[in-house]
Amino acid sequence: MERGYIALVLNAHLPFVRQPEYPRFLEERWLFEALSETYLPFLRVLRSLEADEIPVRITLVLSPTLTAMLADEVLRDRYVAWLDRQIELAERELERTARQPAFARLASIYSDLYTSARDDFTILYGGNVLTGFDYFYKKGRLEIMTSAATHAFLPLYRDVPEAVAAQVETAMISHRRHFGKVASGFWLPQLGWYPGMEEILKAYAVRYTVVATRGALLGKPVPKYGSYSPVTCPNGLAVFIRDARATEAVWSEQTGYPADPVYRDFYRDIGFDLPLDYISPWLEDGGRGFTGFKYWAVTGRTEEKRPYDPEAASARAAEHAKKFLDGRAEQIRKAAAYMDRPPLVVCPYDAELLGHGWFEGPQWLEALFREGKDRQEFRFVSLGEYLKLQPENPVSVPEFSSWGSGGYAAVWLDGSNDWIYRHSYKMLDRMMELAERFPNETGLKERVLNQAARETLLVMCSDWALLIRAGKAGIFARRQVEDAVSNFQHIYEMLCANTVGTEWITRLEKRNNLFPGINYRMFRRKRS
Amino acid sequence: MNIEKLSGLSDEALLNLADKLGIIVPVGLERSFLVEALQEALAEDSEEREGSLDASERVEETKYSGAESDILDASLDSGWCSDSRYNETMVRLLVRDTAWAFAFWDVNDEERAQLRAGEPGSGFQGFFLRVMEEGSDPPRNADHFDIPVEESDLQWYINLPQPDRRYRIDLCCRISGKTRVLARSNPVQTPRGSLAEDASVMDRNTVELLSLSGFGDLDIPPGEERHPSRILAGSEVEE
Repeated sequence: MERGYIALVLNAHLPFVRQPEYPRFLEERWLFEALSETYLPFLRVLRSLEADEIPVRITLVLSPTLTAMLADEVLRDRYVAWLDRQIELAERELERTARQPAFARLASIYSDLYTSARDDFTILYGGNVLTGFDYFYKKGRLEIMTSAATHAFLPLYRDVPEAVAAQVETAMISHRRHFGKVASGFWLPQLGWYPGMEEILKAYAVRYTVVATRGALLGKPVPKYGSYSPVTCPNGLAVFIRDARATEAVWSEQTGYPADPVYRDFYRDIGFDLPLDYISPWLEDGGRGFTGFKYWAVTGRTEEKRPYDPEAASARAAEHAKKFLDGRAEQIRKAAAYMDRPPLVVCPYDAELLGHGWFEGPQWLEALFREGKDRQEFRFVSLGEYLKLQPENPVSVPEFSSWGSGGYAAVWLDGSNDWIYRHSYKMLDRMMELAERFPNETGLKERVLNQAARETLLVMCSDWALLIRAGKAGIFARRQVEDAVSNFQHIYEMLCANTVGTEWITRLEKRNNLFPGINYRMFRRKRS
Repeated sequence: MNIEKLSGLSDEALLNLADKLGIIVPVGLERSFLVEALQEALAEDSEEREGSLDASERVEETKYSGAESDILDASLDSGWCSDSRYNETMVRLLVRDTAWAFAFWDVNDEERAQLRAGEPGSGFQGFFLRVMEEGSDPPRNADHFDIPVEESDLQWYINLPQPDRRYRIDLCCRISGKTRVLARSNPVQTPRGSLAEDASVMDRNTVELLSLSGFGDLDIPPGEERHPSRILAGSEVEE
């Protein structure tokens, strides 16, 4: 028996940013950058480890909005076109930096990055990167969890169980549609949990979820093993607990690995440094912005950055992997002294941190498994696998909590974004009313009602509240809310007037085309 | 970037923006000073927002590269949604953390007009929110406090006295000295702010494991948290 377990959980999520009516759209870049720097490199790491027969166990969250975008043909084509532009910029950069060896080799790294992304995406995965995830899912190297349909912060909707259930049901259907099986795990967006959530999750056959350390430790009763074991709710739902130390190691702004001076600086980008007449063809709005080409190291809290040294950064990523494992092994050793079972350390991170935010993240990830394979103190497990090894866990119900600032709902409910809820609650009220009034519709009317359900889910997206609060892309986020409110209002009025604008609804279905199997009846009032 | 945009705005737009940002503009203030004050206020706002983000939110933020600060643009155009309403009488309560809840409400225009018409000589004396603790044992229905609100108010953050308690609010108005309940909110539960059990009687191994779980860094009081203020008994609903 192992002395302990480490469960690495990566949450891959982006909000629905598809804007087919525009030829190019700034926010679609978020997806393209994540594909190039995180998702495809992540799959490359898995292939490399598989080739060397190194055991891997990772629990990966693929949110339904991200899955929908990865499966979308318009976005697939646009991604290839975007890659072509990036490759063209790389060629220009190779020419421009030809006499500056320190930068020319960096331009060459970007040339390789985008060329291999294009090859992987078009040749290896035939434009559908989900097949890559599915391959490792079937092999058992990845365990894929789903998450709320549109990444809603669920505690703010706890008084409308129909809304929470609709987020869960849509997610479960989306997962089955893309991967052919029922998701065992459900990731709570922003780790937003409230007591009572377990009843809804269990009703959809979810076996486990993950909560923030605070919520778990404040649970009732106090969890016997702290965060070193999941707890089981009285109804049988297993709840894993995020480990605070492992979080700090990676996420701390001061001491977290990505802040190391040797690593590539995320914010310094040639889109801000080079003359506008040279760089503007690769910028979306004609103004300054990120291009993805970054030549400088973090260096420190200074504007005087040092040129990025990829070899030194790779070596540091390997050091950090070893340090991470040493730290977890030490935790396991200490916790084991007070436990009658092997301790578990659950390490959840945003997947996009690895590669996109922290350029060397994929190298760190690979080094974790290469370094970890010979360690005797622990073994990597997925969350579902852990439950098979240890099905009996202490009973407790975690308290309302999240991983946001302050530990509760303050990020998604403050003076900048609180206006959203008047509209989202009204839409929910009306959606439930429509589902009651029209329980058995077919044909065009059913399509209209299903689109109303999509718009209702879209308005609940927690990313919009976060962006509005951050004051970055806040106008874009606000417009997403406004569009959903306005689309729903129009549908509601059409249904009340019993006149359906076929052309308009068809256009809207094509634009907001996520969740093709959606069933508006899920919004029917729950009867106890 | 902000200075260029601000300089291009009309005087009226600058004054509107100053109003939104809560800047008091003395009569006759020179335009250049106003632009400077606005720029400072926007920079402060931006810093405040940056500072309020924790590490996980910053990671989220890096996902959205290309997303430059648009606080100025958002201030100039706050959109149609943030002020719109549904002309219905309702009130809803959302819990934000152990001490705060967000209430939003509305009163139907027709009902509002009827209330204002009131009874001759006395009539409508304003709206208020009545905050009540629910589920106490023994029941303390009389326990409540009132928050007067302006007629134009449609939302409010309410400081709730106790964690781990159940509250609801009534949207009320006072007419001729009598209280009328216009709408009742959903009940909400404030989260527990301290351990569910007394740490001094807890199993020693569990105490050690809580410590190893980082309990000490979470700012959680080890025992039951007591809030100094309690709901004061007020007048009963006279409806």
